Amino acid sequence: MNNESRPKWRKVAYGGRQPGYDDNHTDESFLEEMVMNANVVKRDLLKVMIDSVSISQYLCIVALVVSTWTYTLNLVIDEVTLLKLDTSLLLAGFSMLLLTASPFSLKLLSKYVLNTSFFISGLYVLAPIYQTLTRSISSDSIWALAVCLLLVHLFLHDYSGSTIRPPGALNNPKLTSNISLNASIVASVLVASRLPSRLHVFAIMLFSLQIFLFVPLVAFCIKKFSLRLHLLFSFALMIMTLGVTYQLHHMFFILLLALLVFISIVCPYWLIRIQEYKFEINGPWDEAKLCFDITE
Amino acid sequence: MENVTGEGISDQIERFQTQLQMDGRGRKHRILMVSDFFFPNFGGVESHIYYLSQCLLKLGHKVIVMTHAYGNRSGVRYVTGGLKVYYVPWKPFLMQNTLPTLFLTFPIVRTILIREKISVVHGHQAFSTLCHEALMHARTMGYKVVFTDHSLYGFADAGSIHMNKVLQFTLADIDQAICVSHTSKENTVLRSGISPEKVFMVPNAVDTAMFTPSPDRLSCDEIVIVVISRLVYRKGADLLVEVIPEVCRLFPKVRFIVGGDGPKRVRIEEMREKFSLQDRVEMLGAVPHAQVRSVLISGHIFLNSSLTEAFCIAILEAASCGLLTVSTRVGGVPEVLPDDMVVLAEPAPEDMVRAVRKAIDMLPGIDPQVMHLRMKKLYSWDDVAKRTEIVYDRAMQSPQTDLLERLPRYLRCGAWAGKLFCLVMIINYLLWCLLEYLQPTEGIEEVPDIRPVHARLESVDDTCETQGKGI
Repeated sequence: MNNESRPKWRKVAYGGRQPGYDDNHTDESFLEEMVMNANVVKRDLLKVMIDSVSISQYLCIVALVVSTWTYTLNLVIDEVTLLKLDTSLLLAGFSMLLLTASPFSLKLLSKYVLNTSFFISGLYVLAPIYQTLTRSISSDSIWALAVCLLLVHLFLHDYSGSTIRPPGALNNPKLTSNISLNASIVASVLVASRLPSRLHVFAIMLFSLQIFLFVPLVAFCIKKFSLRLHLLFSFALMIMTLGVTYQLHHMFFILLLALLVFISIVCPYWLIRIQEYKFEINGPWDEAKLCFDITE
Repeated sequence: MENVTGEGISDQIERFQTQLQMDGRGRKHRILMVSDFFFPNFGGVESHIYYLSQCLLKLGHKVIVMTHAYGNRSGVRYVTGGLKVYYVPWKPFLMQNTLPTLFLTFPIVRTILIREKISVVHGHQAFSTLCHEALMHARTMGYKVVFTDHSLYGFADAGSIHMNKVLQFTLADIDQAICVSHTSKENTVLRSGISPEKVFMVPNAVDTAMFTPSPDRLSCDEIVIVVISRLVYRKGADLLVEVIPEVCRLFPKVRFIVGGDGPKRVRIEEMREKFSLQDRVEMLGAVPHAQVRSVLISGHIFLNSSLTEAFCIAILEAASCGLLTVSTRVGGVPEVLPDDMVVLAEPAPEDMVRAVRKAIDMLPGIDPQVMHLRMKKLYSWDDVAKRTEIVYDRAMQSPQTDLLERLPRYLRCGAWAGKLFCLVMIINYLLWCLLEYLQPTEGIEEVPDIRPVHARLESVDDTCETQGKGI
């Protein structure tokens, strides 16, 4: 006589235990809202290699700086040559900025020139302090500390952007990016303090700060302007760096070449290989993400 | 043929349920509730343990609560209904959690288990250190263990990865587990790898005697929207900052009452200043739980903007007071109330405003008294206790296992973690043998049962909700 079958189980918490079902009832709707690997991006090897060029490029830049430091410390490069190099770098950088800046403006140029003038003047005044800063510290400690700081700089560097933001950039630089920049500047001061004359100190400090502060900005603008130009600039830089380091030290050359191959070829391939182990779970239990920015 | 088969199955299920009920009524459990969270601290886990314990006492079981010391409150206390609470002299070191010592709690846990002649150990909350350690020790000693999970956790951040591994360790050898919603059950099964058949869904409930509507129905000349929650990121305070100005702009007769305190309170104050809403958004600050009802009954709509909830008791409290609820559709919230008592929205400002509009349109059809009576039928702690009793019965039916049978379960937890877990359990077993040698079980004095309390309890005709007023 009783024709009623038990009612369909509902995924609800109210109303007490559902008649005909235990509280541990599990049916086919269990985990039906689970999504796996929703945010996984399928990557292309060539794309990853092109993206890794930024890292190789900056590694070459740092290698060039280290080479210049070494030549200067060995007094192969005198202060006059170094000052000429500084001036050339400054002019080249400004030219590149103006060429790649979409809205060309004289106001921007004058702002840059004014800031740079103040900066150079301050640096010139502080050069005697830098020269005598680490007189009481042994050279071994200086070299070890400089190498460590450069490694910190390389590991924490912001390769996808620039610590010194171009005009109009929205995001603030990250904490790691600032730490990276400060590490490089401290390393520059340590190296500069080992030079004999004040003008030498000023020249090498100006060179280092131009590289660490200015070049990432220029490289970032080049990359935004044209990818092809970015790649051309990067490859030219690699070739020049390899040439300079070959003359400097064969072991350094081999190390740099191995690093470049590792970063440009091995790591992209490795990343794509381990991509298949990616396992990501999403579902209604996840904390909701707000779709607007929180402005504190 | 189909009818006969259907009836057969129904009859079997009915008989099984009847037998379970009879077994439950015939056999009394001796339950030890363990958590770092208990009164005088206040929160969802604390309320759950307290009300569940009271209702289990009413059903005739013996219930002991074990937690760490709260300030000067250390030692043994008796609270309402003769509920015995061990405030173990263990100091909290982080967010009311005791320091993870792994083994140092074994002597006192063992002493309590033997003194009180415990049969089931019930741990609460995945984030409770004392809970995990007590469950581990109880399993080593051969007791039945049950675990209740009260929260949702993710899978990707470092904290969640660590917590999930600890949960996997605890639940690898659990008898039964309880979650407070189906979404929470799915989350716990994924995080720990426990079999879904071992996980029961027993929800939270609300003390409807404490949360009653206002005798006089509020007029709709102005519409009051109540928000009561901690003002932190996870509770969606930033969402409130976006939603409140828009609702005030669209509905001139809407007023907000915001109760609660927290880091994001400054942002809401700034929002009031920015949009000149000082007369339409009232900030109450922290609201003691005893005053929550008086705040709720002054409103028509309850707004919940949480970004993650395993259950959300606040919604039940508001519905019990007769308020229509507007809530974000997160976690277990869609399971909590029927569709005509809640308006769900995606956690986005536009959708929240749309849901508030819909709620305002639904408001003339809402009768607080009718809603309150429905809540009394939908949720009650008595029902939660009966369902938990079934979980205890199921745990008691599971087979007894010794160390050699339990080690493979820990071994399956992972390539390295499995071996580490086995090592921990072996050391724990050896520690138990050492404790048995130093302080034999026969030498521990057992606590006599206090019959008058139970006798007095059984003679009371009041529902369990009445006990809640005696906190």
